[in-house]
Amino acid sequence: MKTLLTKKTLKFVGALFILSELAAIMTGPPGNPTHQFDGFKGSLTDPTSLLGLFTTSRWIVFFVYGILASLIVYLVRTKQNVVGKVLEAQRSVSANKTFRIIFFSALVILVVLLPTLIKDAFWQNAMVSQIAVFVLLALGLNVVTGFAGLLDLGFVAFYAVGAYATAWCTGALPLPALFGIHLNTFYAIPIAIALAMISGIILGIPTLRLRGDYLAIVTLGFGEIITVFANNLNGVTGGAMGTGQVPHFAIHVGPVNYVWGIPPVPYYYLTIVFVGIFMIAFSLLEHSRVGRAWTAIREDEVAAESVGINPLKYKVLAFAIGAASAGFAGVMTAAQSNYVTPATFTLGLSINVLVLVIFGGMGSITGVVFGAVVIQTITMYLIHNPPAGYQPQDLYIYIGALLVIMMIFRPAGMIPSRRRSRTHASAASGQE
Amino acid sequence: MENLFEVKDVSLRFGGVVSLSNVSMFQKRGEILAVIGPNGAGKTSLFNSLTGVYQPQEGTILFNPKDKPQLSIIGKKPFTVSDSGIARTFQASRMFNALTTFENVKIGAESHKGIGVLGAMFRGPATRRDEHTSDEHTWSLLEFVGLKDRANVIASALSYGERRRLEIARGLATNPEVLLLDEPAAGTNPSEKNDLAILIRKVRDEMGVSILLIEHDMKLVMSLAERLYVLNFGSVIAEGTPEQIRSNQNVIDAYLGTASEEETDNA
Amino acid sequence: MSGFFHYFSSHFESFRGEFWALFFGGIGSGIIYAMVAIGYTMVYGVLRLINFAHSEIFMIGGFSGFFVLKYGIGSSTPSGLSSVFFVILGILAGGIAGSLSAVVLERVAYRPLRKRGAPKIAYLISAIGASYFLINIAAKEFGRIGQSMVQPYTDHAVFTIFGAPIQMYTIIILIVSVLMFLALDRIVSATKLGRGIRAVAQDSETASLMGVNIDKTIAVTFLLGGFLGGVAGFLYAMNFGVLYSMGFTPALKAFTAAVLGGIGNLRGAVLGGLILGIVESLSVSFVNPAYIDVVAFAILILVLMFRPTGILGERLGRDA
Ligand SMILES: Nc1ncnc2c1ncn2[C@@H]1O[C@H](COP(=O)(O)OP(=O)(O)OP(=O)(O)O)[C@@H](O)[C@H]1O
Ligand SMILES: [Mg+2]
Repeated sequence: MKTLLTKKTLKFVGALFILSELAAIMTGPPGNPTHQFDGFKGSLTDPTSLLGLFTTSRWIVFFVYGILASLIVYLVRTKQNVVGKVLEAQRSVSANKTFRIIFFSALVILVVLLPTLIKDAFWQNAMVSQIAVFVLLALGLNVVTGFAGLLDLGFVAFYAVGAYATAWCTGALPLPALFGIHLNTFYAIPIAIALAMISGIILGIPTLRLRGDYLAIVTLGFGEIITVFANNLNGVTGGAMGTGQVPHFAIHVGPVNYVWGIPPVPYYYLTIVFVGIFMIAFSLLEHSRVGRAWTAIREDEVAAESVGINPLKYKVLAFAIGAASAGFAGVMTAAQSNYVTPATFTLGLSINVLVLVIFGGMGSITGVVFGAVVIQTITMYLIHNPPAGYQPQDLYIYIGALLVIMMIFRPAGMIPSRRRSRTHASAASGQE
Repeated sequence: MENLFEVKDVSLRFGGVVSLSNVSMFQKRGEILAVIGPNGAGKTSLFNSLTGVYQPQEGTILFNPKDKPQLSIIGKKPFTVSDSGIARTFQASRMFNALTTFENVKIGAESHKGIGVLGAMFRGPATRRDEHTSDEHTWSLLEFVGLKDRANVIASALSYGERRRLEIARGLATNPEVLLLDEPAAGTNPSEKNDLAILIRKVRDEMGVSILLIEHDMKLVMSLAERLYVLNFGSVIAEGTPEQIRSNQNVIDAYLGTASEEETDNA
Repeated sequence: MSGFFHYFSSHFESFRGEFWALFFGGIGSGIIYAMVAIGYTMVYGVLRLINFAHSEIFMIGGFSGFFVLKYGIGSSTPSGLSSVFFVILGILAGGIAGSLSAVVLERVAYRPLRKRGAPKIAYLISAIGASYFLINIAAKEFGRIGQSMVQPYTDHAVFTIFGAPIQMYTIIILIVSVLMFLALDRIVSATKLGRGIRAVAQDSETASLMGVNIDKTIAVTFLLGGFLGGVAGFLYAMNFGVLYSMGFTPALKAFTAAVLGGIGNLRGAVLGGLILGIVESLSVSFVNPAYIDVVAFAILILVLMFRPTGILGERLGRDA
C-alpha cells in the first residue's frame, strides 16, 4: 500500500481529478450570456447515478469511472501484456493474404447490402450526405496531409469549388453557365472535378512555397476568404442564400434512361462506386514513384531535393489530386440536396475533415475511411438520438479534444499507415 | 581538358556573418579532392553553395558535366543541380526515416521528371519497365555499398556507419558525375572508417565518379585525397597535395587552436 | 466665392481630422496586435513553431477581465481613483488568466510531443485541436452572442492632436503597453530568465548542455507571452466586448504583424503591429467594409510570399 502513495500516483490522481471535472463540464448543461457560470455549476453539481447504485455529483461519477478504467488498463498491462498480444495477433492475422481477401470481400458485400439492411430514412440520407461524402473528403485530405505532409486548413475550399461548379454548369447560379448550356448534373461531374483540381493548382503554386506552419495559416485564411466572397458576390454565387436549384443526376444515353430522384439510395451507390475508384487510384499512387516522392518530401525536404525531387511540383500535385475527390464530394452534395450555400463551407468543416484523417491514421487509406465512417456515424447518432443535455455544437468540443488526445497518445491514428507509423516510432525512440 | 568544377571569387554572407569570402577553387575530372578546415570554417557552406542550397551573393560556380551542357550553379535549385550530375551526403545524415533502406535508395534511382500520375494509375508496360530498372539499379548499389542484407530494414534502425553508406548509395543512385561527402566518417568506429575509405576509393575507381570530401579525420583525408583545399574563416588559406599541406605553416597555425579538439574527435 | 472657400476649407479640415483620427485609432489597435504578436514571436523563438492556440489565450484574457469587472463593478459607474483601480484589476485578471492558460496549454498540448520528438505537423494539429476545444467550450459556457464590457470609466476625448480627439481608451492602451514593453525588454535582456530564453532561442541543444532548464524556460516563455496576450484580450474587450470567437481575427492579424516585423524578433513584433494597425485603419476610407479583414490577410500573403523574413529579419534556420 505504501508504494501506491508515490509522487507518481498522486500526480495521476490529480490529473484524473482535473480530467473528470473537465469531462463533466464538456458533457454538462450549457451556460448562457447572462448567467455564465450556471453551466459550470450545473456540470459539477448535477446529480447522476453512479453504476446504478446511488446518485452523486457528475464529476465524481466521471472520477470513479476514470479510476476503474485506469485500474483495468493497469492490470491488463502489468499482468501480461494482453493489449500487445491482441495487437500482435491482429497484425499477423491481417498480414495473412487469404484472410485479407475474405475480410475485404465481406466488407464490400456489407457495404453494398447496407441500404437494404438500414431502412430508416434518417440513416439512409446520412449514409450519403454525411458519411460517404465525408469519406470522399477524408480521402482527399489524406493525399495532402497524409501522403505529402501538408497541413491544409482550407481544404473545404475545394469542396466548395466542386459544389459551386456543379451549380454553375447546371445553370443554377446567377452567373450564366458556360456558353449558356445548362448541363445535366451528371455531366457536370468531370467539369467540377477538373475545376477543383485547377483551383488546387492555382492555390498551391503561390502557397506551397511556404513553410509548413505558414501554409496552415495561409490555407486557413484562403478558406475564410472564399466564404467572404461566396457570401458577398451576390451576382455570381447567389450570396448568403446560395442556390436551391441544382437538378438531380440523370443519364440519358441511347436506351439507358435513369434519373436520380429524392430517395438517397441511388446516390449512395453512385458515391460508393466513386469512393472505390478513389481508394484504388490513391492506393496505386501511394505505392508508385509519386507516392515515394511525397514520402521523401514529407520526411526530409532538403534530402529529397538533393536527389532531384522538385518539392513544389509534387506538393502542387498533391493539392490537385486531393482536390479531385473533394470536388466530387461537392458535386454529390449539390446534386443530392439541390442546395449550395456558403454556410456549408466553414472552417469548422475543414477541421472536421482533418479529425477524420487524424483519427483514422494519416497516410493510411483504410484508416481514413474507417475514421470517417466511425466518427461521422457517431456524430449522426448523437444528432439523431441526442443524450440528455447534448447540443449539436458540443460536438466541436469533442473534436478539439480528440485532436489533442490523438497527437499525444496515438499520433499515427487508429489504423496507422505502414510508413507513417514508422515515422512516429523512429521519432519516439529518439533516433534521428 | 576543362575542369569539373570552377569556383571563382565566391562570397556568402548571412546578415553580418561571412561564411565564405572570395573562395576560388577547381576540381579536375576524376579527382578525389578534399576540403578541410577547423569548425565553422565554411566547409558545409561551400557544399551548400555547390548544390544550390545556399545562394552566394558574389562569384560564379561552373559545373561541366561530361555529356550535358555546362551549368552555372548559383541561382539554380538543388533538384536542378542534382539532375545535372552532382550528388551529396549531409553532415548530420538525412535519410527518409519512414522508409526502408531499399526505398531510400530507390527514390534516388527513380526519375522525377514528368508527373507519373497516369503511369501509376494504369501501371502500363513503360511504368513497369521503369520500376524494374530502378529496382535493379537499387539492388546493385546496395550490393556495392554492402547493405544488401539490410535492404528491408527501416532506415532509422541503421547504425551510423550504415547510414553513411546508405546516403552514399542514395547519392550514387542519381547517376552523378561527382559525389560530395560531408564528413562521412563522423561518428563511425575505426574499422568502419577503414571500410569507408575503401568504399570511397572504389566509387571513384570502379564507377568513375569524382569525389569531393569534407573530413576532420586527418589520417583518412591524407590517405584518400589527391589534393586538398584548406578553409579558415571562410577563406582558402592553402591548396596542394597532402605532403604540401602537411608542411604548410598557415595550415599548422590555423589548426594549432583546434589540435586538442582533433584528438577528442579521433578518440 | 467665399462660400466655396469656406466649404473647401471646412471639408479639408474634416478630412484632416478624419485622417488623424484613423491614424490614432490604428495605433490603438496596432498596439493590441503588437502585444499578441509578441506572444507568437516569443514562442516561435524557443520552439520554432507558431502557437496556433494563442488566439484563445487572448479570448480567455478578455473574458477574465470581463468577469472581474462585471462582478466587481456591478451597476455602479466608477470614477476617479476607483476607475484606475478597476482598470488595473481588469488588466491583472486578463494577464494572469492569459499566463495560466498559456502555461497549461504548453503543458498539455505541447510538452508531451516535445518529449517524444514529434514531427512539426503534430504540434500544429495538437494546437489547432486545443484552440478548437477552447473556443467551443467558451461558446457553450458563455453563450454565442457578444456582450459588451461594463465600463470601468467614462470614455471621453481627453485632448486633440491635429484636430483628432484622443480618447481616454487610447491613452490607457498607450500607457499600459509602454510599461509592459519596457518591463518585457528588461526581463528578456537583463535577467537570468531572459538569458535562458535567449539561449534556448539561439540553440536549445547547446543551451541545455550549458545548464539551462529547457522545460522551465519554455514554460516561462509561454507565461510571459500569455500575460501580454491576456492583457491585450482585456484591452480589446473594453472596446469591442467579449465573444467566444473574439480571438480569431485579431490573432490572425497579430500573426501577420509578427511575420511582418520578422518572426522571432521582439522589436519587429511591435513595429509590425503598429504598421498593420495603421494601414488597416486607414484602409477603412477606401475599402468596402465587408472586405476589411481581407486587407490584413492580403498583407500577410504578400509578406509571406515576398519577404518571409519580415522587415527586421528573423534568425535564419540552418537547413543543411
Ligand atoms: N543558414 C545559416 N545561417 C546563418 N549562419 C550560417 C548558416 N549556415 C552557416 N552559417 C555560418 O557560417 C559559418 C560557417 O559554417 P559551416 O557550417 O559552413 O562551417 P563548417 O566548416 O562546415 O563547420 P563544421 O566543421 O563545424 O561542420 C558559421 O559561422 C555558421 O554559423
Ligand atoms: Mg560542416
